[in-house]
Amino acid sequence: MLDLARGSPWVSRATLFVFAAAALTAMGLGGTAVGNLFSPLLGAVGPEATPGLGRHLLVGLMLAGALVANLEVIRFLPFRFQVLLVWGELLLLFYGFVLSFERDFGVIFAVGRSGVSNLYFLITTGAFTTLYVSLIAIAIACVLALIGALGKLSRNGAFYAVATFYISFFRGTPLLLQVVLIYTGFAQLGFVMEAVPAGITALALCYGAYMAEIFRAGIEGVPSGQREAAKALALPSDLIFRKIVFPQAMRLIVPPTGNQFIAMLKDSSLVSIVGVWELTKTAQVLGKRDFQVFEFLIAAAVIYWVMSVVFEVIQARIEGYYGKGNTR
Amino acid sequence: MKNIFALGSAAALAFVMATPAAIAGETLDRVMATKTLTMSSDAEYPPQSFLNDNNEMDGFDVDVGKEIAKRMGVELKIVTPSWDIITGGSWGGRWDMSVGSMTPTKQRAKVLNFPAVYYYTPAAFAVHQDSKIASLDDLSGKTIGSCGGCTYDAYLNKDLVIDAEGAPAFEYKVEAGEIKTYETDTHAFDDLRLGDGTRLDAAFSALPTIQAAIEGGYPLKVIGKPAFYEPLSVATDKGDPEFDAKITEIVDAMKADGTLQKLSEKWYGVDLTAVQ
Repeated sequence: MLDLARGSPWVSRATLFVFAAAALTAMGLGGTAVGNLFSPLLGAVGPEATPGLGRHLLVGLMLAGALVANLEVIRFLPFRFQVLLVWGELLLLFYGFVLSFERDFGVIFAVGRSGVSNLYFLITTGAFTTLYVSLIAIAIACVLALIGALGKLSRNGAFYAVATFYISFFRGTPLLLQVVLIYTGFAQLGFVMEAVPAGITALALCYGAYMAEIFRAGIEGVPSGQREAAKALALPSDLIFRKIVFPQAMRLIVPPTGNQFIAMLKDSSLVSIVGVWELTKTAQVLGKRDFQVFEFLIAAAVIYWVMSVVFEVIQARIEGYYGKGNTR
Repeated sequence: MKNIFALGSAAALAFVMATPAAIAGETLDRVMATKTLTMSSDAEYPPQSFLNDNNEMDGFDVDVGKEIAKRMGVELKIVTPSWDIITGGSWGGRWDMSVGSMTPTKQRAKVLNFPAVYYYTPAAFAVHQDSKIASLDDLSGKTIGSCGGCTYDAYLNKDLVIDAEGAPAFEYKVEAGEIKTYETDTHAFDDLRLGDGTRLDAAFSALPTIQAAIEGGYPLKVIGKPAFYEPLSVATDKGDPEFDAKITEIVDAMKADGTLQKLSEKWYGVDLTAVQ
């Protein structure tokens, strides 16, 4: 939008305004909370009255005007403030969206006979379990991924076959079924695992398979000249891998692996089917107590999000560490 | 190369054969040795079982479980695997019994034992407060929600077989237009509360569960008389008749001395422990 504005600023701004106004009017927002906000402008129309086209049009024009004005103001700010402002506005919109459900969100902070608030229980039981299950699983998955990647790059037929079979099976079947297979299936063979270890095993195996491909791509992504140069210096082959190839591969491996970890944080909710009280399950249990599930699911969503943001920051740090060879 | 594979598969086979197919006959020994009776329960099914405001498991099923443990002289421990995992059987000794308001159907009896029926719950239809539906007859052709794979689902599909002794007879009174199933009945209530006919015209569930939802602020109402009464039983894994006999004996004693009736009145306000 801003790029367009550079060519012929007023035409493109007017076009944006007209399109936004038309789209917002077509959505018929006259009867919503936003519509009620603007209704005094049309005279004595109460919020109870059936909103007509006039009111839809008014709301559409006002919101489109606000959008264009907003973009204009943002243009004068430095990049950092642009980002902060737009983030703030989008967060406010999300907040308004959640409030529009008109549920009793106070229950999230309510304190029961146990003396702790529901939010405290949700974090200490649910978020804590989600976090440690995911952390252990991603650590094991990294080891499996490295072995899987080396297997896929190996010239040994058996090693290659085992690695490709593992990757193919665990990428090709749903995680939910893997959890059930490991929890119930292995118990049939007399190998009885408790719920948490079974869940961690399933998550680690599944994500190890996905990450094996990431690791393989990372290792293959290191230019072959690096290996050849190390060979020319007569370095032993295990040292070439550990000191030359792997650190450079890590630069390519870290970003998608951070991605996988954030995905795993949320996929760990599938482990709840065997009875692990991770975040989603705990939210549902707390919600069912007084039939207020929705409130707690929103709370869980926010907690997941906060955890993801923290790991995004950590990922950026690790990327910086392995990327230092490439910064100028 | 061939030999290596033959050796490998032989080793794998030996491993499978050497491990016992199931832990058999030792449930009672394990309970007595560890002084712990482990019970599976749904944490999302008030008033049968739920997490109370002291963050402890509570409810009718939980109280019955506690009483069974008390009469065995052991501690009760509760685990909460999903319904499918419980009804799938082959628990591998991870828990000893289910006191989870389970109906003893023929299919389930293939993988589980049902040593003691402990109460009978009425199954009822609920509609939105704004609904014009007034009787079971009005429900024909409507969209009805229930839990998937449960007895309510089976009733709507006219495929309900309850093979417990003394199960009251019933007839199919409702011809659903469309059946929508959910992971558990309470999710159907969530859809019904959106509005009359928005996603569902009615929900079919246990009467106590519907009443708990109405108390929790759901805009629902119960219509007509209960469609059927289903016996609900303690379930155990196959393979330990001694443990099953012990459960039967304890639940019979709880019925005889009035403990079970008291618990029913505590949680449901009425005695549901006898055939209606």
